[in-house]
Amino acid sequence: MTNKRMTNWTAGDDRMVEDAIRRGATRRDLMKMLMAGGVATMAGGTILGRATAAYASTPVSGGFIKVAGASSSTADTLDPAKASNSTDYSRICSIYNRLTFLDSSGAVQMELAKSVESSDAKTWTVSLKSGVTFHSGKSLTAQDVVYSLNRHLDEAVGSKVNSIAAQMESIRAVDDLTVTIDLASPNADLPIILALHHFMIVADGATDFTKPDGTGAFKVENFEPGVTSILVKNENYFKGNGVHLDGFEFFAIRDEPARVNALMSGDVQVASAVKPQSMRLIDSVDSIVALKNTAGNYTNMNMRLDMSPGDNAAFVEGMKYLINREQIEKSVMRGLAVVANDQPVSPASKYYNADLKPRDFDPERAKSLFEKAGVLGQSIPIVCSDAASSSVDMATVIQQAGSTIGMNLDVQRVPADGYWSNYWLKAPIHFGNINPRPTPDILFSLLYAKTAKWNESQFMNDKFDSMLIEARGLLDEEKRTEIYGEMQTMISNEAGTAIPVWLSGVDAMSSKVKGMQTNPLGGLMGYAFAEHIWLEQ
Amino acid sequence: MTAVTNFIARKSGYNINLVGLCSATVILFWAIVALIAPMITPYPVGEIVDWDYFGPSSSAFWLGSDYLGRDVLSRILMGARFTVGISLGAVTLACFIGVTLGMLAAVIGGLFDQVLSRFLDAFNSIPSKLFGLVVVAAVGSSVPVLILTLTAIYAPGSYRFARALAVNINTMDFVTVARARGEGTLYLIKEEILPNIIGPVLADFGLRFVFIVLLLSGLSFLGLGVLPPNADWGALVKENISGLPFAAPAVIYPSFAIASLTISVNMMIDNLPKKIRDRED
Amino acid sequence: MNTIILRLIAERLGVMLVTLVIVSFTVFAATQLLPGDVAQILLGQAATPEAVAGLREAMGLNEPAIPRYFNWLIGLTQGDFGLSYVTREPIADLIAGRLQNTLRLAAITTLISVPLALSLGILAALYQGTKFDRVVSTATVMIISVPEFMVATLAVLIFAVYLKWLPALSYANEVTSLWQLLKTFAMPVITLTFVIAAQMIRMSRAAVIETLNTPYCEMALLKGASRRRTVLIHALPNALGPIANAVALSLSYLLGGVIIVETIFNYPGIAKLMVDAVATRDLPLVQSCAMIFCFGYLMLIMLADIISILSNPRLRT
Repeated sequence: MTNKRMTNWTAGDDRMVEDAIRRGATRRDLMKMLMAGGVATMAGGTILGRATAAYASTPVSGGFIKVAGASSSTADTLDPAKASNSTDYSRICSIYNRLTFLDSSGAVQMELAKSVESSDAKTWTVSLKSGVTFHSGKSLTAQDVVYSLNRHLDEAVGSKVNSIAAQMESIRAVDDLTVTIDLASPNADLPIILALHHFMIVADGATDFTKPDGTGAFKVENFEPGVTSILVKNENYFKGNGVHLDGFEFFAIRDEPARVNALMSGDVQVASAVKPQSMRLIDSVDSIVALKNTAGNYTNMNMRLDMSPGDNAAFVEGMKYLINREQIEKSVMRGLAVVANDQPVSPASKYYNADLKPRDFDPERAKSLFEKAGVLGQSIPIVCSDAASSSVDMATVIQQAGSTIGMNLDVQRVPADGYWSNYWLKAPIHFGNINPRPTPDILFSLLYAKTAKWNESQFMNDKFDSMLIEARGLLDEEKRTEIYGEMQTMISNEAGTAIPVWLSGVDAMSSKVKGMQTNPLGGLMGYAFAEHIWLEQ
Repeated sequence: MTAVTNFIARKSGYNINLVGLCSATVILFWAIVALIAPMITPYPVGEIVDWDYFGPSSSAFWLGSDYLGRDVLSRILMGARFTVGISLGAVTLACFIGVTLGMLAAVIGGLFDQVLSRFLDAFNSIPSKLFGLVVVAAVGSSVPVLILTLTAIYAPGSYRFARALAVNINTMDFVTVARARGEGTLYLIKEEILPNIIGPVLADFGLRFVFIVLLLSGLSFLGLGVLPPNADWGALVKENISGLPFAAPAVIYPSFAIASLTISVNMMIDNLPKKIRDRED
Repeated sequence: MNTIILRLIAERLGVMLVTLVIVSFTVFAATQLLPGDVAQILLGQAATPEAVAGLREAMGLNEPAIPRYFNWLIGLTQGDFGLSYVTREPIADLIAGRLQNTLRLAAITTLISVPLALSLGILAALYQGTKFDRVVSTATVMIISVPEFMVATLAVLIFAVYLKWLPALSYANEVTSLWQLLKTFAMPVITLTFVIAAQMIRMSRAAVIETLNTPYCEMALLKGASRRRTVLIHALPNALGPIANAVALSLSYLLGGVIIVETIFNYPGIAKLMVDAVATRDLPLVQSCAMIFCFGYLMLIMLADIISILSNPRLRT
């Protein structure tokens, strides 16, 4: 019976239900609403169970759970600067704290900092909360913050956010609980930047991260890179509401069906990054719920504008019309995606330009553009890889559309091993995968500015660059929104990066696990789930 | 059916049994499918034709739809080209090279045997995944490269097994007699050794065929060989494995296809007419 | 033990040392051929030229690769496997626990699969052409025709998800009783037995049958010896060489080839360690793992060769 359901759920149903619950709708209202919307009762029941879960019961203490992540290797690290995937993020989020963090609505909240303030967006003063202690018993001081931030500027550390941290010209302690940060140029987003996972605060002078010392909700009892980690509750945690879980084990099961099976058999209580095709199985079991998070992660097709055939504007435009976004959303992602409009600022952002509509799927228009570019009939290679998630399936969809209009696209699947250093940014047409970033400024500086390290399509536009600098220092939100909106249009029309859909991440868990919510920094509550969730007895 | 086998037996002089004939028919069937696949696929192999996924068998989609909603029948038919073609090519090459060198090593012996054996042992202990990755990085990927890689991975094992068999035969009186007669190395391996080890060698061939069929899917995930939208049968099973809990046709039928081919090859080998299998008198 | 065996062992051990060095160098060279070095891979998407240069400097990777390899080799002669590039921990520590896990799984699988496979194979040869033979032959081919990841996933679905008899994951460090040990290892061992037993069954059957066709066995049969007696007394000793080789090749799979089983059952063994090491370009770790696989493989085939020689008196001269 469930076999005939076409998609598991659509983004529309989901938003509708979640919004309604926030507004205080009753269960009966919701059922009525879903029936009217044509959603089958069974599917509706599941959505309801899942969406109401977070708002229902009150936290209880105790319990130990096992959480299965999606990737792991001997390169696993507890050094925040080097953290590179969801597994690392999940561990460091429970061991350390940041100065600020983003809540489920994307608003900045203070964590270790009492306040982060500036009058000119250039010189920032960070005041720390008092009475925060590390696991070792040492008190948190400004010196720890200075040391932690300065680490990112030392190339020998190998920090992932070296390029973002580079704007911090000087970081110094004013007194025991105050730090001043001078930026090279004004940036109103600093409080959000400090919420990135890599900016976790470590103890002054820390170099050995196999036995880490943090202020976080959990202490490390055991850590074997590429195998497992066991974390136990920090009884002296500084946050008033305390930690609910006694502890948890975090390890990765890289094979997705195996991860789902381990959840189904009860060997783990939370399984992250569930594929769309597993949703039917998860839906069929009452004791398992799923949480969907559309944070702004995307897989995009990059056509380098400085290389043939991307140097021909008609070709690039044609390819954008050749993408059947609805098919990618419905068939490849099974509804676990939102159609996107070829620019990187997600609908969840307050700066999202809603007037910029996604391009229609229009093979005939693409055909005439290809004819104009003179590429029809040529064989054009497109590089994809399992390293960029879902890119192989997306490439196949585009290839198939091409074959209907006589466009010969040669899909080349290359090894995931070494993909980022060997093909990404290099091949004339290739796929990339970009993780959510909290601000348009980070996205644009990283991906579209002339000097951007990851300028995927070699998009060069002086006007764009000057707008970027102008908006960065603006404290006037209205003006800023306007500039960012225009920049999104420029990217969508002129850059060689085709962004078909926003990918949703799904984490599945036992229905006894409560308190999990969505977060703009990614799945598993922006990876900071451990201190928020509890286990119903 | 027995009438048919009797007929063939009378006409050809070969004594054929029913199992052997059925196996041969299945192999022939897949070989023909491999040749004419593009003409008989109901839908383009990469096109998403069903909004449902892991769909059941229906009149529109005889073998259901896969994880994206593509037609499983079309994908299996096209997959036959790669699974049958590449696997047969690779296993034939690997066994030919392995068995020939194995017999040569046994008959010639001495330093030749020592050096060759130690070299192939060393080669065999290099992990095949690493080997595959290096091949892609060094020469890129294409079907001939894939066949040669699979050959390189499986020839040393075939060599070792054939040599072990041949060494035993090489000590037999009839070989010593032939050698005393002054027969050349080529004559020895062709007339004296090969006929005496052909049974196990063929059994080994059949098994190696199965292993290659299965390894093929692993290599295409390394980026070596069969490129999208096409896929070999092992890759079809792998990409649809999430359908296993529902016994989705998308995962069941490719498995059947693999089993039907590999079992047929092995059953045919087991049931080859005595006249071919056995050493001639 | 006669002198020829001792000489062979001495000779082989000598050759083995040379082979180990050659293999480690080949693997080192192969890894060099792959795109990206450890600094680039660790930084992943953040591998900007400056960041890579800084990290390389800090990791001491600016020294050319070849001298680094020889330094590692010299360290090895003193029993020092060196430090992992990635974790900065001694490689001996990284490998020790994983190797133990792998050997434990391999040992249990061997204990179950080898006796099972050889008795089935020899019995099938003994009763060649009977229904028993046909069932065994067909079943073995059917079993290996199913991809390993499907056997493993199906086993998990049936025994862990639906019946809930066995755990879906096989931890090596949680075993406290024999019963628990059996439960934890049941599914990986069954899966691996499926994979390797078939080859041993078919090869031992074929080798015994082939030996039965040799003149002296035919002679024995003509003289009126029973088929059973001929198989056990005359054919089996002569088929031992090829059988030992088939067993050695199958067992060598249990060292480096168990990656699928390790992945699906989340079993921290050495195959996954090697895959990680290749993926992160952790050269000393790759070389060390390769040497361990190579050593295991060479030991197995040396044993097979010794059995061949001992079982065929004519080879002993």
